[in-house]
Order: sequence, then C-alpha cells, then structure tokens
Amino acid sequence: MALESLTDPARWPVVRVALHAGLLLALAYLLQRIRDLHPQLPMRQLARGKGGERRALLVLILLFAVVLLHQASWQLTGMLRPQFMAFMQLYDRRDFNPAHRLRRGRILDRNGEVLVYSEEQADRVRRHYRDGPVFGHVVGYRHPRFGATGLEAVASVHLDGGTPLRLADWGRVGRQVLTQDEHPRGHDLWLTLDAELQRHAVALLGARRGAVVMLRPQDGALLVLASTPGFDPERIAATLGGAEDPAAPLLNRATQGLYPPGSTFKVVMAALALEHGFNTTIDCPAEGFTTSARYPRIRDHEYYEAREHGTEWRGHGAIGLGTALARSSNVFFAKLGVGYGHAAFYALADRLHANRPIVLHHSAHGRYIMQTLRLPRLDPDDRYGLAQMSLGQGALLMSPAQLALIGAAVGNQGVAMRPRLLRDQPPEALGQFFSPTTSAALLPLLRAVVTEGTARAIDDPALRIAGKTGTAQHAQGRAHSWFLGLAPAERPTLAVAVLVERGGYGAVAAAPIARALIEQAARRGLLQ
Amino acid sequence: MSAPPPDLRAAWALRAPERELLAWGLLCVGLGFAMAIGSAQAAGARLGAEVLVAPALQLGCVVVIHLGLVALRCRGDQLLTACIALLAGFGLLVRYRMGAFDPGDPTDPGLYALPLGVTAMLVTCALAMRGRHVRLATAGWLWAALSLALVAVVLALGQRFRGAIYGVGLVTPTELLKITAVVFMAWFVDRHAKALGEWRGPGSMWPPLRALWPLAGFWAVLAALLLWQRDLGMLAVLATVQLVVLVAGSGRRGYLWWGLGLGGALGAAALGLFAHGQRRLAAWLDPFADPTGASWQILQGLSGMYSGGLWGEGLGAGNPEYTPIAQSDFIYAVIGEEFGFVGCVLLVVFVLILLWRGLLVAERTRDRFGRLLGLGLVSALACQTLLNLGGVTKLIPLTGITLPLISQGGTSLVTVLVMLGLVLALSDGPAPRTPGTRRTTNPRRRTTRPRQRPDQTQ
Repeated sequence: MALESLTDPARWPVVRVALHAGLLLALAYLLQRIRDLHPQLPMRQLARGKGGERRALLVLILLFAVVLLHQASWQLTGMLRPQFMAFMQLYDRRDFNPAHRLRRGRILDRNGEVLVYSEEQADRVRRHYRDGPVFGHVVGYRHPRFGATGLEAVASVHLDGGTPLRLADWGRVGRQVLTQDEHPRGHDLWLTLDAELQRHAVALLGARRGAVVMLRPQDGALLVLASTPGFDPERIAATLGGAEDPAAPLLNRATQGLYPPGSTFKVVMAALALEHGFNTTIDCPAEGFTTSARYPRIRDHEYYEAREHGTEWRGHGAIGLGTALARSSNVFFAKLGVGYGHAAFYALADRLHANRPIVLHHSAHGRYIMQTLRLPRLDPDDRYGLAQMSLGQGALLMSPAQLALIGAAVGNQGVAMRPRLLRDQPPEALGQFFSPTTSAALLPLLRAVVTEGTARAIDDPALRIAGKTGTAQHAQGRAHSWFLGLAPAERPTLAVAVLVERGGYGAVAAAPIARALIEQAARRGLLQ
Repeated sequence: MSAPPPDLRAAWALRAPERELLAWGLLCVGLGFAMAIGSAQAAGARLGAEVLVAPALQLGCVVVIHLGLVALRCRGDQLLTACIALLAGFGLLVRYRMGAFDPGDPTDPGLYALPLGVTAMLVTCALAMRGRHVRLATAGWLWAALSLALVAVVLALGQRFRGAIYGVGLVTPTELLKITAVVFMAWFVDRHAKALGEWRGPGSMWPPLRALWPLAGFWAVLAALLLWQRDLGMLAVLATVQLVVLVAGSGRRGYLWWGLGLGGALGAAALGLFAHGQRRLAAWLDPFADPTGASWQILQGLSGMYSGGLWGEGLGAGNPEYTPIAQSDFIYAVIGEEFGFVGCVLLVVFVLILLWRGLLVAERTRDRFGRLLGLGLVSALACQTLLNLGGVTKLIPLTGITLPLISQGGTSLVTVLVMLGLVLALSDGPAPRTPGTRRTTNPRRRTTRPRQRPDQTQ
C-alpha cells in the first residue's frame, strides 16, 4: 500500500519533516485567514465597542511575551546556562539533545599538553580528566547536583563556546539554533601550569597530606598548584566531602588550607626590620624571652635539643639579622616584633593582604580564590600575643599559596603579581609588599639560610636556592613542615612554597621536595 | 443591532467564515495526527483501525460544534469557536500522542472527555444565549454556597495525591469553582457596584468595608478550605478573578493594590505554614540543588524543550515520556519538545486570539452582570494559562494547575468548555425585541443605573 511505504523507516524522516513543515505552515496560514476574516465578524449584536479591552489585551500580550522570552532563555540559549548543560549531559536520555553533542573545550597546560578533553562515544560526549586527582583541584569538576568548582566553573561559558561577542559568533549560535545540525564546540582553555612539574610535585608529596605552589615572581604565572590528597573529577560522590574526614580530599590545601606558618613567617619579620633600617644586634640568651612572668618563656630550638641530650646550651648571644634568620632564632624575632610594636606589625600584614582573600579569576559562574594571612586584631596591650605571631605561631594562620606569593614578591623587587592560572590573562600587579631595597637586602640573607643555615642539607651550587624553613607547632600533633624557596638567589625566576602536614622539621620533609622540584624545573629550562 | 438569523438557511450563510476557519483547523490537527500515527508505524508498532478513532472524534466534535450553532441560530463569535476547536483538537492530538487515553478501549473515560465537553458547551450556550445568562444571577448567594460545598465535598471524600487533595474518583469537583465562584463574584459585584465604588478617607484610600464584608466572609471560608486542600493554584486563579471583577465593576483601581498587598502578605504567611509549598518554592529558586529529586520533572521538561530547539523534533519523534506525568501539567513542555519554540509561539498566539475575543465580548456586553461574568471567565482562563506556562518554563513556582483545553483531565476540559460556552452565549447578544414590547431602558445609560436588572421577567 502506498500509505505504508510512506512510513517505511528509510523514507519516514523526510515525510515527517514535510508533515511538520506543513503543519506549521497550515497554522500560519490559518492565522492569515483569521486576519483576513475578522473584519467580517464584527459582532453587531453587541454594544458598540469603546476599545476598553485593548489595555487588558496589551497586559496579556506583555505577560505572555515575558513567558516566551524566559522560555527562549532555556529552549534556545540553554547552552549559556552551565548547570543546565551539566544536568542534561548527565541525566537527559534524549539522544537528539544537542547537549550530548556539545564538545566542551579542552584544558591544556602551558606547553599544550591536554589535561581535560571531551570525546564522542556512541553519540554522546564524555568529559575525560587525564591524571584525575593530579589536576583535580585546579580544573575542578562539573556535577548537576554538587555544582561546579575550579576552572570548569569559572571558565564554564568559555569552555562551552563563550558568550557570543562578535557578529560571527552570534551567527554561529543562530545557525545552531536554526538547524541543530552543527555540533556545537567550545573554546580551549590554556593554563599556566606545567603538567610535568605538577605531576612531579604530587608524586613527591606521595601519600602525605600537603601542598606545593610554584609561581614565577615576574608575572604571577602558577607553574604548580598541587594539593594532596586529591580527588578524581570523573568520580564525584556525596561521600567525598564528609566534614569529619580528616583527609578532606576536596579541600584545596594550596589555596584554601590555613596553617600556622611557623618560622617561614620570619621572612616577613626580617623584611619589617629591614624596612625600619635595622642594622644592630639583639641579645638572644638561653633562658629565652617573655613579656610577663605569667607566660611561658619563648626559647630557641637549640635549648630544647640540648635539654633532650642532657647538655647545656649557652644561647646565641648578641646576633644580627642574618644569623638570626639562618639559625631561625625564636628569641630574636619575638624581641624584634615586640620592639616594633603592634602598629608596624599590622601595617605590614595589611600590605600583605591579611584577612582579604585574593581573587585569581572570577566570572558569573564561579571564583577561583586563595586565602592569604588570617590574624585577629590583638589588644594593643597583648605583647605576648604579638611576640608569638612574630614567630608565625599563636593566632596567625597562612595558606601555602600566600607563602609562595610573599617569596615571589621578595624575588620581584617587592612587587607581588596577582597569581594566575590562565595563560591568556594579562599579568597584573597586586601590590608593593616590600620596598625594592628591602627585597634586595633580604635575598642574600635567605641565600645564607641555605648555604649555612637550617636548610644547608639541600644546598646545590648549580641551583643557588635561597629560602627559609618552617616547623610550625600546633595543637593536633606533630609539627607541620614548611619550606619557602627562591631560585636562583640573585634574581629569582621561581618561587616555591611547600607544606607537609605533620611532616616534622621543615628541613627534613618540605625542603627536599622544594629542591627536587627546582631541580626538575631547571632541567626543563625554567631557571633562566 | 443585528437580529438573529430568521431561519436555518440564514444561519448557515451567517456562519460561513466559521466553516472555513474550522476546516483549516481540522487540516492542521489532521496533519498532526498523520505525524503521530506515522511515527508510531515507522517505529514498528502494529496499528489497527483504532488509530482513526481520535481523528474521527476531532472531526465529529468540530462538525457538531458547527451544526449545533447553526441549528441554534446562534450569532455567537465565530473566531472564538474556531480557536476553541483548534486548541481542543490540538490538546486531543497531544494527549493521543502521549498515550493519555486508549483509543481501542471503549470504556476509557479519556475518550469521552472532549465529546462531553463539546456537548456541555453547546448546551450551556443554548441555555444562556439571547441574553438568558442573566438568569444565572437569580441564584445569588446559592453560587457561593455551592462553591464552598464543592470544596468541602472534595475535602471530605477526596484522596491526597502528590501533596494536594484533588479528585473524588475520576472527577475533580473543585475545577467547577471556576464557574460557580466566578458567577457568584460577578453577581455580587454587579449588585453592590455603587457601594463598592464609594471609597473613603484622604485620597479615597480606604475601601468600603461595610459593602465588602460579605465577600470577605466568603473568601475567608473559601481560602481556608482551599489552603487546607493545598490547591494553591486554584486559589491564585480565583483571587485574580476577584480582583479583576472588583476593579472592573467598581471602577476603583485601589482594589488591585489592596488585593496584591493582602494577597502577598497572606501568601507569604501561608507559605510558611505549608512544607508542600516551601518544597516547590525551593525547587523553583534553585532547581539544581536536588536535580534528581524535587526538580526532576521541571528539569526534564526543560531538557525536552532545549532538545526541541526552535523547530522541534516533530510529533512522535521526541521523548517526552522522560518527563514524568507530562500529559497533565507539563503538556506545554511536550509541545515545546515536539513542535519547537515556533510551535509554542503559535500556540500562544492562538490562545491570545481566544482571550482577545473573550475580552471583546465582555467589553461589549450590554448588562453589567454579563460584562463582569465574561471578564471573570476570561481572566480565569488567562490566569490559568499563565500560571501553567510560567511554571513549566520556571518563570514562577509550580502550582500544579492544568493548561486549559490541552492538558489531560476530563473535569478541567469540560469546565473550560462550559466557561467558553458561557462566553459564546454572551457573544450572541441580548434577546431580540419583539414588536409590542416597549424598550424599558436605554442600554447606553447602563453605567449610571447600577441597580438596573435587565431581566425583568421574574
């Protein structure tokens, strides 16, 4: 029968399109006939109209227009709603949904290595995250239930194809809406990260909890932003984010983790002293220092070591700033901090963005931010609290990214560049953390820490690392291990901060990681 | 003033434009049925003669509407009937495509909703045309009592279903409120129009409470019962009608501001009391908080619409079955998916034509009761359509209200057709003057004599 041949699966699609077009055309023609015929239907049996219905009709038209416009924002330009797209890609079973064919842009490292990509499998596009947990905290994830984080959120519109800015882009969106044939494709996103170094950093941290941040002082480009343990963006589950889980794999320790900075904060205190023209010595006796007899005495670690071995330690005596930094003398910096007082301390902390998170990137769909310093306003009479904060203990907390940023500022004549993850984001100065002369004076002192001070175990004449160790006490157990490194010491092109949670001495756990990473970076030609 | 057609031949000639528009409408719906049936056959379904039941039903209904109105020698608006027939046929088509009824099963009540509704529309029109609608006003407070009784019956006998109490068996009696309560409101406002227009105080900012209190009493009971039943959508529709009728009847726009203020305050308070409403509000504000649970239906509906895009997949080619119970509240999402944004715009245009003709009829009806009745019925339909469309497109929270003429739901369909039957009767105009009856009042002076009752017969 002729009718049955029309519904033959091979021929039906054409017939269906014809019927569909015919129906829409017939409806349009019916509208045309209504327009033609309605003057012939004047309803003369009713009273003469005064047009009172026109205003009501106008209100109705407006209301329906609002509904239709809102509908169009889903139906026609739904691709500009990231969560909606994520929902459809995961939960919509309609094979013809264009969301399944949207090839979201790739995410690449600075050398063009692909970290994240979308691939068509069986008419569906799936998103793959190479190296899963290694880049998890940077690229983030997209999940219809848990939302989006990281750059997948921040750069969502760009990755989905971008807000059409130019006429050609609008034309592309228009064609897509009209035909639905063209496979929509997003834009690629280039990062500043070095995939090789990032992988190396995560491997160096191993099973330990911690973070590594490496950036270029001159332009703020982040080469490494690693946090362990990580998570695999392809396997997001409700069980991941348990608040009671101490591993907290979703927490980006590099940017969001806040830890007592310990002795690494002495770099900031040394800068404070240099800004005030400090050029004398401070007496650092074995019995330590306190602001009042009611408080325990602040002593140097040599005192405790001697006591442990049953010997006696005589104290440093009168030492200058260089020796104090190299030996990481607590007494020296406690006295220094108390000597300069609260006002000078807070003035510098404010310059370092204390209590003000730094926005790396932001868009309507998310922000990538880093925590900086967190410290309370102490009572001006609380000199002991100030002494403790001067050692990076007490009420003072800091993120690993902030330590790297402080190091970078020292290496860049005191100017901190805003850290950035996107290659195409232009470098931008964040602020003058220290004066150029302070930075210039500080660098040789930090170099001495590595050549003859607490970090001498990692010294390598070829790398010429400058830095500062940190061993931060805290209430929950073994001390956190810190290291801040700059290389090469004369004109640093790399600043690196390493934190190992409960790693013990900074020189033991954190410093070797920094050295290994700088070594690897030198091999990749990043140390010029 | 044009007299009714003297005989059937004249009536046949009078309704020629309607005939043409109905025929074009039939063609549109017929093409749709061809698509739906063809898609099923192309997908490999074995189809028998029962596929012709639904198209035949549509054809029969259109023929009955036309011949019925000719037989009644009705002068009623022909554009109105064309839009009604097209939208109702479109609804039948989409319900057929969704498998909302089984055309092969003669005991399926879904099969009889449209014929029953069309019959009810014609009967209503026959009873109320030639100005006989004024007889509705004689019942007065009985309409209020009937309205409250309807809700009480549902509360006493109904089953709780998806958070609200809707039906008793197969019918949803509260749908009839859109007739009974609207007639009551029109009657009340018509009767007390003068008193309701006398506002007091500086700048006439205080409404006349003495004239309002019987209405307020009715509303207190009605709102309490509907809230108990958790039918927030119906409450919103009736409240809108009440405000429109009050403003139009008394000429005081202040009722709108007072009504919006009081309604907003009471709505916010009611929302605090009902977890049901709060859940819907939360799902509206952040649909992605619980995408696989509370927001599954609306997100699936929107996904379907996005899949449909501008032109739609074509009837029978989409997967609207992925949207749960799409054939009732979410039928608009199905239309968006299969007919595309263009189809939705066309549908809205036809709805607007229907509402425009309704407004025109109301505006030009001579007696105030008829005018308010027509206005009330049209605003009920407009409000219901907007609430449904707004809910499905996530512009406003979901109210669980049907799309008039299209959604599944026999009671809703019959009620809407009866309402439109009333509007059609109004458009037939007043009774013709027979020789010997002296015209007692001048229709053009109707606004100055609010107490005038055009119906002098009883």
